Amino acid sequence: MACAFGSFAVALLLFCAVNAAAWAGGSGWWRAADFPHLSWTGWRIKKFLQFRGTPDIVLLGSSLMLVPVAGVDADFVGRRLEGADHYRSRYFEHALQARSRRSARTFDFSLPGEMPSDAYLITDFLLKGDKCPKVIVYGLGPRDFMDNLLPSPSSTDPFRNLARFGDVSPISARAMPGWLERINFELGKVFYLYGRKTDIMARADALAVKSLDGLVPEPAGGKKFSIDSRRSLLPLYLPEQLCRGEAYFRPTTTNERPQFFDNLNEYRSRYCHVKWDTFVSQLEFLSDTLELAKSRGVHVVLVAMPITDLNRSLIQDYAFNAYLRSIKAIASAQGATFVNLYASPAFSRADFGDTVHLHSGGGKKLLDLISEALCNDAECRISLSIPDNGYGQAAAGAVASRPAGEPVATAQDRPL
Amino acid sequence: MLFNSLQYLVFLPTVFLLFWIVPHKLRVPLLLVASYVFYMSWKPLYGLLIFGLTLGNFLLVPLIAKTATHKKLMLGLVVALNLITLGVFKYAYFTMDVVKQGLGLAGLNWHEPHLHIILPLGISFFVFEFIHYAVEVYRGKPTVKSFIDFALFASFFPTQIAGPIKRYMDFIPQLSIPAKFKWAYLDEGMQLILLGLSKKVLIADNLALVVQAGFSHPGNFSAADLWIITYAFAFQIFFDFAGYTDIARGSAMLFGYKVPINFNLPYIAANVSDFWHRWHISLSTWLRDYLFIPLGGSRGGKWFTSRNLFITMALGGLWHGAATHFLIWGVYQGVLLILHREYSQVLERLGIAQKLLASKIYHVVSVVFTFHLVCIGWVLFRADNLSIAGEMLSKLLVQAPVEFTHFSVQQLAILHIRDPIIFPALLIILPVLMVSHVVVNWLNGKKIYEHPPWALQVGMMVAMMCLLTIFSPDSSPRFIYFQF
Repeated sequence: MACAFGSFAVALLLFCAVNAAAWAGGSGWWRAADFPHLSWTGWRIKKFLQFRGTPDIVLLGSSLMLVPVAGVDADFVGRRLEGADHYRSRYFEHALQARSRRSARTFDFSLPGEMPSDAYLITDFLLKGDKCPKVIVYGLGPRDFMDNLLPSPSSTDPFRNLARFGDVSPISARAMPGWLERINFELGKVFYLYGRKTDIMARADALAVKSLDGLVPEPAGGKKFSIDSRRSLLPLYLPEQLCRGEAYFRPTTTNERPQFFDNLNEYRSRYCHVKWDTFVSQLEFLSDTLELAKSRGVHVVLVAMPITDLNRSLIQDYAFNAYLRSIKAIASAQGATFVNLYASPAFSRADFGDTVHLHSGGGKKLLDLISEALCNDAECRISLSIPDNGYGQAAAGAVASRPAGEPVATAQDRPL
Repeated sequence: MLFNSLQYLVFLPTVFLLFWIVPHKLRVPLLLVASYVFYMSWKPLYGLLIFGLTLGNFLLVPLIAKTATHKKLMLGLVVALNLITLGVFKYAYFTMDVVKQGLGLAGLNWHEPHLHIILPLGISFFVFEFIHYAVEVYRGKPTVKSFIDFALFASFFPTQIAGPIKRYMDFIPQLSIPAKFKWAYLDEGMQLILLGLSKKVLIADNLALVVQAGFSHPGNFSAADLWIITYAFAFQIFFDFAGYTDIARGSAMLFGYKVPINFNLPYIAANVSDFWHRWHISLSTWLRDYLFIPLGGSRGGKWFTSRNLFITMALGGLWHGAATHFLIWGVYQGVLLILHREYSQVLERLGIAQKLLASKIYHVVSVVFTFHLVCIGWVLFRADNLSIAGEMLSKLLVQAPVEFTHFSVQQLAILHIRDPIIFPALLIILPVLMVSHVVVNWLNGKKIYEHPPWALQVGMMVAMMCLLTIFSPDSSPRFIYFQF
């Protein structure tokens, strides 16, 4: 049998038919939480879905939040903590209870590289229904708005994993500003096999592993192959994957903390030539996150995280001022509490492990100041049912405020 | 723009549709514009380089035909223009490095200048096409009259980056045929493109993982592992380059144009000479026609022929890359060809050549032996430097015989690496790939293979589309031959 339109045209039609059939019948084949490979994001989402009950406070932010929060917990509990499993800020709960006499359950959703666009997806897709917290504490840094190394909001590991839990079409124009990304995204929506390729590949991979274990079993004895060996042999293979036993937070004391690490070169490339469109787009995501949280009755505390003067000096003044001014204005517009720890005199260079990340000692200060700010904030006290026992004075070192009327940076603010 | 990228998935159908919509006289200009868009999507400035060389050759080569007395001088000038351009962009760093090391041996310290030269994609290929044009005109063939045709010959996007190296007398006449659209163009073209993508994405890219691990850390693997990894590279480079060539040929076919083949089951070659008739055919025939024969070919005595073979292959090695290991790989190929020639002549003199060549066992042993000789060459080719090549070869050739005397399966590190699963899977995949050469050779010429039933063609294309859709990586590695 031949066809007037040629074999390719027929093959293309059949391919479309296969995809249409898969769309029609394949809706229940995959679960969003069955990640092909677990990264920091995957582990954290799994833990969140397994979390019994509702967390009172959810922490959001990038590694600026993750590193000190987990580091201080390792000091606090006095043992090393598995990075993949650690999700609860023990010290923060303790600090808050010590100040307020109320216990609160926390969930740390801060992730390496988390951008406001990722925080938006966490809030939109996960912090809802019986998992909706009372308060969100969101630690922000200038990198979250001006990272030159990031091709687009949708290119982060958190975004890719979180996008599995809902429809990102409404934000696709902002999340995928490049036409190729958009085409890629739309192809995934049209062709089932393309849209679900990671899941299908993972299933095929699992099948291959099962078959090969039978056909070519691993010999007993011999040199075992660890994840560290794999990282060394294949540094580009699944770089975002996180395996158990691969990342630990170890307890440290003042005397045995690792030496200050100069990561200025990395940040030089991040900050050079501020991409104003990215900056404004991430501000919009931040604003949307706060608006969404407000609509769900969640109070948000925005924390401008401390960074070293070394790191600050890499950012041009207009960009840094635009960052600080804008997040303050967004907090004000959305009724969130703004805690400016960048301006806090409590932190010095000695509190940092590198030019932006606080070490566990600095982390302890951070969580003390945040817990104090929460206790001082009327909205938080109401949300967390903390009695007003004379709080109301500004926390020592923390500058919590609710300013009004500050302008948000817009695309028109681009410097000439 | 990579063939295995989303950009190409948008670019190719757009050019294809426009090509068949516009009148015939606009097709070549359209393809020329498309080819420059394709080239300049990488570095716009280098569009000027290919344009400049095209213009230079178009204006100078006819002077070779016109002059009666200074033909050789004009040819020399044109070839020099092309080779100097290639030399500046491709060999400047290598030359400076060699000079620096030479001066260092003489006790002199030279601080070489920083030139910031980035190798233009495809330069080795289009420069060879220009030289071929100049030499053919020198030999009396006609010049190309249309600049647009000539410019498209040099920049034609399907073959622009990594060949096949075209011959202008085969390509240019196709441009003037006022072809009408046929479904057969689309069918043949897309079959080749899908086949090429499958070779690249499904086979070569997966093997690349193992090869990368083995060649970057040979110390972590046993000699047996390294032999397997070397086989893996042999198939990786074959499927990578053959995949690229299929996509190039398929893309050209969409416009009704034919470009030469590059491969003919190279790993069933029964000797090294046979291998070079099957591997990168457009390059090996170029080297034969424009280097080996001008050097004197095999018209002189034994030593003269050997010298020509040696020079041809050494320069052929250096053409692949400005690095010592490529030069040594070329030298190795030259030496193998010389030894093969000597060996064949010895067999002829002994009067046993015919008998041996007729023997099936001898043929199988020859194929296996040739494959291993080629694999040893691939180690020199793939290693990042001579130190790694030395470590690999020492394990493969010196340590392996010792290791094999007390071989146990536990020595195979690839069996202990279960993620990615391609490592243990090699023990199944490699034999299948080896057998596939034999099977395809057996199928060659059979009706079901040359003209498969329509339903089978459709079924194969649907299967390839599904597999490619699922297994297309977000960022597939570049084709290996793009670096040359």
